Amino acid sequence: MRSDIELRTNFYITAVSVSARLSTVLKEAKNISLEAMNAKALVARAGENVRTFKPITDYMVELANDTIRLVEEINRESLLISKSSLISLRGNEAFGHFLKAKNLSKGALYQNSFSSALLAAEKDLQTFKQDLQKNVRMLNELLEEIETRMLAANVVTSTSRLEAATVSNLYRANFEAIVAKFETAAKNIRATVMECRKVLNGR
Amino acid sequence: MKTIKLYEGQFHEWIVFGRDPDKPSKIIDTNQFLIKTKHEAILLDPGGIELFSSMLASVVHFLPVDQITHLFASHQDPDIISSLGLWDKTLPHATLHAPWIWEGFLRHYGCNNITYSSIPDEGETLKFDGLELQFIPAHYMHSSGNFCVYDPISKILFSGDIGGGLNSLEDPMFVENFEAHIPQIKTFHQRWMPSERAKDKWLKRVRKLDIKYMCPQHGSIYEGDDVQKFLNWLDDLEVGTGLRV
Ligand SMILES: [Fe+2]
Ligand SMILES: [Fe+2]
Repeated sequence: MRSDIELRTNFYITAVSVSARLSTVLKEAKNISLEAMNAKALVARAGENVRTFKPITDYMVELANDTIRLVEEINRESLLISKSSLISLRGNEAFGHFLKAKNLSKGALYQNSFSSALLAAEKDLQTFKQDLQKNVRMLNELLEEIETRMLAANVVTSTSRLEAATVSNLYRANFEAIVAKFETAAKNIRATVMECRKVLNGR
Repeated sequence: MKTIKLYEGQFHEWIVFGRDPDKPSKIIDTNQFLIKTKHEAILLDPGGIELFSSMLASVVHFLPVDQITHLFASHQDPDIISSLGLWDKTLPHATLHAPWIWEGFLRHYGCNNITYSSIPDEGETLKFDGLELQFIPAHYMHSSGNFCVYDPISKILFSGDIGGGLNSLEDPMFVENFEAHIPQIKTFHQRWMPSERAKDKWLKRVRKLDIKYMCPQHGSIYEGDDVQKFLNWLDDLEVGTGLRV
């Protein structure tokens, strides 16, 4: 993340476009949830034979729920970024006007009479920038959290695949299909989240 | 920005600011007026946001900025008062006098600190530091809530958009030849002023005043006989021509 937030006029659009991409994440999280249900039903039917699959399905449900919750938080944070970036832009403009007046009024008898307004505008701008920076940091952290979870999902996919191989022929294909769908969903989420972070950090 | 001291009396003075060479070219040129007493001051139609820095830089040649205790906005247009949000940061203790109908609208420019004092439709008198200014109704000339400012001591009428024109930076600050000045103001009055009834009412009102200078917010200032020439010319002019289409 950039240490200094450069006030780009399109910053609030960036936040909105992060929000827009989240619909993909949400869709995939719901897919995971659905696959988890299928897996649970299958585990119930297959019985003792596949009991090692039980914790995996629980994990899938947990992952889907966590992702949906994180997406909600990200949406909230994106909205805050849109707002705080607009406030910062306006603060930047105000400071610019006072600075210009300072330059234009060189030699004026009462030039210093608006220095408190100039200082206040500068201080406001610093506060606005810090708020924006805080919001961007929060959003990055939330996106990182989803990404970390998707990396963990990779490990679970490998384990599930090994487990699926030991399941009797009757259920093996079903389990393998569930694992494959889970893997695809997790990959898509990770790719989207990485894209969001790129957009957010202007890279 | 061009600066002219228009009047200097025993207790107060009028200063006009205009023809800002720093303004972006597509923005209409405006005149701003400062009335300064010993301890206080009022800024009439402070101008658009693009002009703010030039205005602020200009007024501090005449007074410490916090001596400005009052602002006046004849109506709601952006060229009149879109700088409000910045004056609000500069003069948090000032009072803005503006038509009551525009309060909810003008606050969109940002008015968190400044006190908004609503001028009633019939107008009112503002007194401060020994000065008396009359807010003269000029509704529908062009704005539906609109006032002129009359100073009976200096005999100056600040007329807002009335008398103004689509002038250029090179135009003189004072009308030099009224006949030659007409092309500059004709379209502006025909197309911007909407109502014959409003025009007649305003003319009737201001004809009762003793006016030495009539100062519009755009273009050149009318002095002496040119004031009467303008009033007669306006009387004969058809306004509201946008309705011809
Ligand atoms: Fe206007
Ligand atoms: Fe105007």
